[in-house]
Amino acid sequence: MPEIRLTMTAEARTVLSDLLRLIAPAAARVAVRRARIPADDEDVTGYWTGALEAHASEEARLLASAFATAKGDPAVILLRNEAQALGFLRAISSVRLALRELVFNDIPDSRLEASEDLDDESLPAEKRHALACYACFGLLQQSLVAQLSPESMD
Amino acid sequence: MARPKIKPEVRTETSAKAERRWNVIVRNDPVNFMGYVVVAFVSVLRVSHESAKRLMRLIHEEGRATVWTGDRERAEMLALELQQWHLDARLEQDA
Repeated sequence: MPEIRLTMTAEARTVLSDLLRLIAPAAARVAVRRARIPADDEDVTGYWTGALEAHASEEARLLASAFATAKGDPAVILLRNEAQALGFLRAISSVRLALRELVFNDIPDSRLEASEDLDDESLPAEKRHALACYACFGLLQQSLVAQLSPESMD
Repeated sequence: MARPKIKPEVRTETSAKAERRWNVIVRNDPVNFMGYVVVAFVSVLRVSHESAKRLMRLIHEEGRATVWTGDRERAEMLALELQQWHLDARLEQDA
């Protein structure tokens, strides 16, 4: 797999990194909480929960490291192999789910899908900021899928 | 000479119980993009991109779909892996 580059402005890198510091620990908890874990076998439940926790923590580390090492303007995140790229994809999904659940769970899905509504000035500033980051992480994820697996795009 | 029927009947029942099939269900979610879900299915279920897209569209249109059916151990492993992709995956026993 050729090296994959994700490029963003230095300002975007700073804003997204700041948000990650706040949301990444919660993202791991959300990932475990929202999972439907079978409860009829204690051993399976324990293994399953542990596997999700370990995976979520690893994703948070990967994301933090990727943003921390993205220097310059524009800032470039380099993903050197498929495992890194797939891990980065999952990590972004985890962060978006955590934002959805923890910061703007009161906004209907239909409204989230209409990007022009995301900058609604009637929303509190913090929520608008989180929505903008949610959209940015979405763009990064789409860009990564398009580079990693163009045949997956419609 | 005819064999006693008790043991074979017990064995059959045990065998049927052991062979119960389990479905891995994935439900639609508003956060994950379609392309991302396709990548997840290709990676976890080892299906072609076309099959993964068909499953993804079914989930998008119907709200949920069975993405795999089989023995419980394998179903557990696949459901866990799909959850590690942050998809809304769960196990259900086949009716």
